[in-house]
Amino acid sequence: MSQRLKQGFLFSSLTFFVAAYLRAAENSPQTVSVKIETILASNQSGEFDSRLKALEKQLRVLKYRSYRLLKEESKDVPSQGSASFEIPGGRSLIVWPQDFRNQQVALKVRLQGGQKPLLDTTIRLPNKGNFILGGPPHDGGVLVLSISANVQ
Amino acid sequence: MKNCDSTRESLGAWLDGELDRAESEAVRVHLEGCVACKEERRQLEKLQVALKSVLDSEASRIAFPPFWSSVQQRITEKSAWREDLVDWLRSVFSGPRIAWAIPAVILLLLGVLSGDSLVSGFRNFGQRNNFASVESIDAYGRNVALLREDETKTTVIWLYQNQEGEDESTTETRLSF
Amino acid sequence: MELSDWELVQKCQSGEMSAFEDLVSRYYQKVYMVILGLLRNRDDAMEVAQETFFRAYRKIKSFQGGSSFYTWLYRIAVNIAIDTQRRQKRNPLDFRETMDEVLEEQNEVAKDPFSDVHDKELRDRLVEAINDLTPEHKAVIVLRTLEGLSYKDIGEILGCSEGTVMSRLHYARKKLQSKLGGFL
Repeated sequence: MSQRLKQGFLFSSLTFFVAAYLRAAENSPQTVSVKIETILASNQSGEFDSRLKALEKQLRVLKYRSYRLLKEESKDVPSQGSASFEIPGGRSLIVWPQDFRNQQVALKVRLQGGQKPLLDTTIRLPNKGNFILGGPPHDGGVLVLSISANVQ
Repeated sequence: MKNCDSTRESLGAWLDGELDRAESEAVRVHLEGCVACKEERRQLEKLQVALKSVLDSEASRIAFPPFWSSVQQRITEKSAWREDLVDWLRSVFSGPRIAWAIPAVILLLLGVLSGDSLVSGFRNFGQRNNFASVESIDAYGRNVALLREDETKTTVIWLYQNQEGEDESTTETRLSF
Repeated sequence: MELSDWELVQKCQSGEMSAFEDLVSRYYQKVYMVILGLLRNRDDAMEVAQETFFRAYRKIKSFQGGSSFYTWLYRIAVNIAIDTQRRQKRNPLDFRETMDEVLEEQNEVAKDPFSDVHDKELRDRLVEAINDLTPEHKAVIVLRTLEGLSYKDIGEILGCSEGTVMSRLHYARKKLQSKLGGFL
């Protein structure tokens, strides 16, 4: 077989596998594992909670002097369901998984103060990725939530 | 002799030194005798100072070495990528065309069969390595900011605290497609 | 003895990267400031400033010295900035702020990047008023205010006549004045 023909078949095979992979990338997961890390950020001291080591680079973007993990909670949320997480200060966070496409999971997220909605957002995250939601005041600082999702 | 309207039209250009001698002299003469236009001149000059101050203060913050390093990186990366692509294309597509007839047909069939998933897959491919993307936000009247930080690939949604307390709404900040 | 811009350009054109580095060091702050005035976001301004010099490097061989180097450079910068601004206006959810600006609103960060303007309210109104200008009006204000460029040079950068520059400046200043009201 000529060298060029070999290259041609290699190229075609690669394209085939890429197409198959892309097609396989679209599916609806059974459950989405959602993790909420609730963090208190403030300028009252200079301490950095060692339990937040994995988030350190991201949290440093916020330019507070101290960060303390208040709680960490994970829940497996069915793809058509929702889960509610208690947040300090009488607040709650509700998460509804939307879909999973191309290794990205879409979530609808609501932050509530009591029964009153404070913020709704629909966000598309890389699988096992996270985003930060922050700002609500608490205990001399502000609450920072790291919200991550993992599709199994 | 200039009147107030035409003086004020020319005042900016006069301050900028862009009028010819005759026009410039006419403005100068008018300003000597007109309190209102003198005040207009004062305001324009103050505006200029405030504008320059707002923008000038940023300059000293930017250090040269990291800036130059980023520019160099762009030059190196984008040049290398293009050259590699040209070399690869040259090597792959030279030679007898007939050897590509069979794989070309296979490719065409694959394209037809995989059509929409290929298109949507390639369209979304870039997102795999990207930030979280926010599709909608509703802050129920509160101020909210969206931040993306390149180095750590962090997406931050920041909800401002209202001055008057969380029960009160301020300006409408509904953002959605 | 310091080389002129044109001498450095000629060295770049024959492949001397160090000459391009000298040009960048001469103009990077000015280019950044012009772009910051147009985009009002530090991250975007930095991105566009770096892109400006990258594109200038790619095009350096086509620069014949017909205009001054800095007007040629600013032209590239302004075009990229205006395109970026138009893209951002079409996609409001791509709006970004730096955390300094976000937290400053909540008085969480003590330092004020625009600390030379002591009157915070004047500064805030001015920033808002500048942002309300169209990209073309903002461009003339920034180029004239920051760089003190002549109307001729500004026209060359923006691809318009001196008369257009004059009338855009007049309009932009009037608009800024009316928005600032009694603060001036």
